[in-house]
Amino acid sequence: MLLQRIFASVLLLACVGLALMAWPYQAAFSYEPVGPRAFPLLMLGLMGLGLLYMVFRPTPIVHSDDDPKLDRETLIKIGICVLLLLVFAGAFEPLGFIVASILIGIPMARLYGGRWLPSTVIISLMAIGLYLLFDKVMDVPLPLGVLDVLEN
Amino acid sequence: MDTLGYLGQGFGVALSPYNLVTALCGTLIGTVVGLLPGLGPINGVALLIPIAFALGLPPESALILLAAVYLGCEYGGRISSILLNIPGEASTVMTTLDGYPMARKGLAGVALSLSAWSSFIGAFIATCGMVLFAPLLAKWAIAFGPAEYFVLMVFAIVCLGGMAGDRPLKTFIAALIGLFLSTVGIDANSGVYRFTGDNIHLTDGIQFVVLVLGLFSISEILLLLEKTHRGQEAVKATGRMMFNFKEASSVFVVNIRCGLLGFIMGVLPGAGATLASAVAYMTEKRIAGANGTFGQGDMRGLAAPETAIGGAACGALVPMLTLGVPGSGTTAVMIGALSLYNITPGPLLFQQQPDIVWGLIASLFVANIMLVILNIPMIRIFTRILAVPNWALVPVIAIITGIGVYAVHATTFDLFLMIGIGIFGYILRKLDFPLSPVLLGFILGGLMEQNLRRALSISNGALEILWSSPITFGVWVLTAIMLLMPILRIWRKRSVARRVIADV
Repeated sequence: MLLQRIFASVLLLACVGLALMAWPYQAAFSYEPVGPRAFPLLMLGLMGLGLLYMVFRPTPIVHSDDDPKLDRETLIKIGICVLLLLVFAGAFEPLGFIVASILIGIPMARLYGGRWLPSTVIISLMAIGLYLLFDKVMDVPLPLGVLDVLEN
Repeated sequence: MDTLGYLGQGFGVALSPYNLVTALCGTLIGTVVGLLPGLGPINGVALLIPIAFALGLPPESALILLAAVYLGCEYGGRISSILLNIPGEASTVMTTLDGYPMARKGLAGVALSLSAWSSFIGAFIATCGMVLFAPLLAKWAIAFGPAEYFVLMVFAIVCLGGMAGDRPLKTFIAALIGLFLSTVGIDANSGVYRFTGDNIHLTDGIQFVVLVLGLFSISEILLLLEKTHRGQEAVKATGRMMFNFKEASSVFVVNIRCGLLGFIMGVLPGAGATLASAVAYMTEKRIAGANGTFGQGDMRGLAAPETAIGGAACGALVPMLTLGVPGSGTTAVMIGALSLYNITPGPLLFQQQPDIVWGLIASLFVANIMLVILNIPMIRIFTRILAVPNWALVPVIAIITGIGVYAVHATTFDLFLMIGIGIFGYILRKLDFPLSPVLLGFILGGLMEQNLRRALSISNGALEILWSSPITFGVWVLTAIMLLMPILRIWRKRSVARRVIADV
């Protein structure tokens, strides 16, 4: 309940902020009666009303059996996972696809309960295999990054 | 009889060797994607869009591929429901109720082939319905002006909330989030930059592949972290693989009934396969009454939801093709795919691009037959795939998702944006918000705003245009009914609760 209230309030604040941001949107030349401001404001307004209701009357979340409650351990894991994904995004171009994938794939496999050796072998093979599959076979260009020297 | 001629032409497109291979690849990929935890039809279709584009597939082949993947995913979802008792998607929850007990009885192979058969009948009924009604609807839809379209989209959004059952408010908020996100980027009419925060990568707006993969894949990856243990063993599919004639004929009436029901539910925006399967199961349970063994492996209990899912999956394509208004999350993704090819689905599609429409309809027939045939020899391989542990699977899903996003624009900004959206999606999921309305809102948002502005330009700013024509007025009435539905339901539930208290 409390979580929902907090979430609704934060989103409500975001709505207000975005509405303020949208306020000055006006076309320099206008050929039509409705400008670029009306629709986003309408959506934000309706969303705001809904969220306001939620702040005061949040609906209880029904927990199913296979949906365990969040504990500290899971939260830490989720934090690490997000961090790994961010590293992946950051390393994608400078280090290249293969290196970045191996770099984040192995710790991620560990996070999901894999052992060191099988994780390393499978992720490394997968990274190279996916690179060949997408870049060479399917024409989706992927950066090579530091492995660029191997190309020539 | 034009329709039959067009359909023949469509089969000509679908049965060309190139498209047959495309459909076969699509069904195979779809089945595997549907099998794997953490990947459903929505991310399956979304991941393939940039790849289909990069491969340079012509639009009709790309659409056939996506439709085949869609059907394959629905099919793959049932394998894990029957053998593992874990529904691959929300829509297959009902399949587990009788499918898993059947598998425990040693009828796993029969359950799988029977469900494939049921789904085939459902899809077949729906495809026939589509052949009959889609051209009519398309003809009728030409009378739609921008005002009518705007109202129709409002109706679609409200339907989502009205049908969602216990959490209409959250569904509305989710849809509004999607509608709002669609306004990010440069405004096509006036050239004003909206909500971009001077970021050059946002000028184009949020790429919808980024949104879909963030919302569904990344949030699923984070959700899977909570369930790293994997307790259940798959039931071995041994013994007889094929259902016999007696079994098929015993569920035939159920098949017909649920196929029709599924088709109707699929056509309605917002209802979709999940609701169709639930309603079909409940109805059949009531009809069977005392002489049914529902919940303990009754074949009718397996056939009913499966037929309805098959019907609804194809039925959902009707509003997408004829009106350009998606009926489900997956069809919303397909509209996004079409717009990459500069094709706007809608009534004009039937006149301008009959090859695409009828080729797609014909390929649905083909893909359905393929799935039934694939089932028999491939089932052992598919069950093997179920044994892949999460630790090997999840990093690969994450990496492939990254490739899919990178393939669209080749910028790492999109990767960061996807992660951000993924975290947001994870929070929404933990707070019990449904995610597919966000997606539907996002796809509808652009269309909705354009049509609203166009309508008001026609009327020179007078709002009457939005309700003056009979069509718009009728749709508004329907919208009002839909809005009242959840309120009525809550009210009735409360009065029942009060009566119970009074009785005690």
